[in-house]
Amino acid sequence: MKESVASTVVFILLLFLNTGLLNGQSPPGKPVISKCRSPEKETFTCWWKPGEDGGLPTNYTLTYHKEGETTTHECPDYITSGPNSCYFNKKHTSIWTMYIITINATNKMGSSSSDPRYVDVTYIVEPDPPVNLTLELKQPEDKKTYLWMKWYPPTLVDVRSGWLTLQYEIRLKPEKATEWETHFAGQQTQFKILSLYPGQKYLVQVRCKPDHGFWSEWSPESSIQIPNDISMKDTIVWIFVAVLSTVICLIMVAAVALKGHSMITCILPPVPGPKIKGFDTHLLEKGKSEELLSALGCQDFPPISDCEDLLVEFLEVDDSEDQQLMPAHSKEHPGQDKKPTSLDPDSDSGRGSCDSPSLLSKKCEEARANPSTFNTPEDIEKPENPQTNVTCTQDAQSAHLEDKIPYFPADGSKSSTWPLPQPPSQHSPRSSYHNIADMCKLALGMTGTSAILLDKTDTQALRSSKTTKTGGEEKEAEQKEVESFHSKTDQGTAWLLPQEKTPFISVKPLDYVEIHKVNKDGALSLLPKQKENSHQTEKPSTCEGSKEYAKVSRVMDNNILVLVQDPRAQNLATFEEAAKEAPPSLQQNPAREDLASFSSAPSSCGLQLGGLDYLDPTCFMHSFQ
Amino acid sequence: MDDKGWSLKGSLLPLLLLVSDLLLCQGVTSLPICPTGAVNCQVSLRDLFDRAVILSHYIHNLSSEMFNEFFFIKKYAQGRGFITKAINSCHTSSLSTPEDKEQAQQIHHEDLLNLILRVLRSWNDPLYHLVSEVRRMQEAPDSMLSRAIEIEEQNRRLLEGMEKIVGQVHPGVRENEVYSIWSGLPSLQMADEDSRLFAFYNLLHCLRRDSHKIDNYLKLLKCRIVYDSNC
Repeated sequence: MKESVASTVVFILLLFLNTGLLNGQSPPGKPVISKCRSPEKETFTCWWKPGEDGGLPTNYTLTYHKEGETTTHECPDYITSGPNSCYFNKKHTSIWTMYIITINATNKMGSSSSDPRYVDVTYIVEPDPPVNLTLELKQPEDKKTYLWMKWYPPTLVDVRSGWLTLQYEIRLKPEKATEWETHFAGQQTQFKILSLYPGQKYLVQVRCKPDHGFWSEWSPESSIQIPNDISMKDTIVWIFVAVLSTVICLIMVAAVALKGHSMITCILPPVPGPKIKGFDTHLLEKGKSEELLSALGCQDFPPISDCEDLLVEFLEVDDSEDQQLMPAHSKEHPGQDKKPTSLDPDSDSGRGSCDSPSLLSKKCEEARANPSTFNTPEDIEKPENPQTNVTCTQDAQSAHLEDKIPYFPADGSKSSTWPLPQPPSQHSPRSSYHNIADMCKLALGMTGTSAILLDKTDTQALRSSKTTKTGGEEKEAEQKEVESFHSKTDQGTAWLLPQEKTPFISVKPLDYVEIHKVNKDGALSLLPKQKENSHQTEKPSTCEGSKEYAKVSRVMDNNILVLVQDPRAQNLATFEEAAKEAPPSLQQNPAREDLASFSSAPSSCGLQLGGLDYLDPTCFMHSFQ
Repeated sequence: MDDKGWSLKGSLLPLLLLVSDLLLCQGVTSLPICPTGAVNCQVSLRDLFDRAVILSHYIHNLSSEMFNEFFFIKKYAQGRGFITKAINSCHTSSLSTPEDKEQAQQIHHEDLLNLILRVLRSWNDPLYHLVSEVRRMQEAPDSMLSRAIEIEEQNRRLLEGMEKIVGQVHPGVRENEVYSIWSGLPSLQMADEDSRLFAFYNLLHCLRRDSHKIDNYLKLLKCRIVYDSNC
């Protein structure tokens, strides 16, 4: 009987259990204490997580006992901190004491307990965030604008008595930025931010930490708008500056566009040629020979006292057989007539008048119109060196300075338009010169420039360069002489003469320029006709048919060759006399080596052809090399 | 993994200690110091308290780190087992120290000062032995030894400072040197590793708590005496 009763009871119990299981009811699961925190080290709260409730209403209780006590207490306050929490007020909180806390979950089916948790309030302090965060933008007059922020410790924390010591941290960022900028503020409750972007809206937060505790949560965001730095006035100023600079840039661009070339020449000036000091080239252009020559310092030429009977002689150069002589130079003047012009005396003389050794006259100017006769001479006279460095004496007045007067780089060795001096045997037939002017013009024609630099000695040599050779040789010799002379001229003494490529069929009286003096550089200085004394032997002669010859009458004390007009129907300059006369007078100039050598030359080189006295220019040239 | 982390930490911690010590020393030594033996030297009470608070704060930080380092990172941490056994076993428990703010504020500052002195004196001996035992302990990392040495030295300095403060706050009163005696040395030297480790745990746990108490009391006193309860 009893056994059957017992088995029945067990059966019923099992039924109940099964029923319970079938219904889903079970004892509660084990709760877990999740967190215990104290906001001010005077109270604390513990929260738990319930386990499965087993489908039945479950009751949770928190029980604890303190270190050193044996009695167990129950949670005094389940409500204050919310559900599943237990709040320990000040009365129930002891610091530096271990709490052993347990949660019990109970339901109809059963109960369960959590693991005990050991809590020491000392080490679970986590305060509330600081309160009353205020932001203020301060703009002191002399300093930069800065952001000043102030806050207060959380209300519950007792900082004044020193029970808790708080340290603060702030962070801020522009509204649209992603990264926060964090600053540690220590124990102070205010902070300054100096590096701010103007025109931005900033968000600021603050949090605190007790000594030996946990950081609080960040306070709610406070925002502030930073005003723009640039005031209206500044903006206007900047706009004005921008407009002004734009205008200036446009002006500069326009200036460069319009006058780019002149600016380039201003920045990179062209290499100047030789220039005589004090010589105004513009005067040449304008034809004001008086001023020009006065600038050169030519005065009183020739000296009145001595030159009453002085005549200006013209050096005539014979350019016959020039065709053969100047094949190489013809290229300089393409298209020019290269007929072997045996220049008849008349034409030569005509040229000669124009080609008075000391000047280019207006007649020569007119003579330009007839380039044919002059072609060959030009061709002939043209040396290998395309540059015309023949120095001629010219009458500034008559100088045809309409053309631009280029500068000659009067370096002797290269600038000579004449063939380099060579031994007479090596002379290639060259045209002789009717006169210096002719030479000049030839040279000019060859080089296309109107500037000629003629050394006095060159001139003298030219004048006295009567070649005993054939005309071509003579011309060549003279050419070379001139060239060699020229090679010795200083660069600085180059000056310009009107350019004409036309032959020297001058059709109008020529004005002559006397060689007034040779400066220390050996340059020939010319005087305008007007300034010359009446006794000057200037005799304008018509280029046409005029036959004027240059003949050195004598040499002045100051080494001035005085040319006289030799009324010989010759196209050749007569230098013999002059040559003979020259040496002694030339020797008077101790400084002039070339003169001295020159002086030595004519005696040996004097030849006479056809009534014309020529000096072998090679002799002189030789001395000048 | 733990060892690697430990070795790195071990190398960083002495450096950290050194730096913090230097900072502290600077903070403390930069203040004017009375020559030893001077009777009437008057370093201001404010400076004395500032120094004391700095020292006590530093000592507690070192103690916390030491405790955490040894028992929660190393594999030797026994966690709850030790905690359960370590309840109410500090040798200074007999000293009736206030347990909350109200009690601490109610106690008179002289008594509180004396209490602090007692606690500090009670720890002279245990700290000395802690250093020697940690040095002997093979499982202990180097940083633990450095910290132990530092704690012992700073504790001595704090004691001196506190005696000066007491001399200024209520001069003339010379208390008998009362302190709790520590008898935990045999436990530290036990052969059984488990027991030895528990002895260490207990010692470090009590050290952490007492250093926190001292720090808290001193800050209370400072605000009360120097700043008139208006920190």
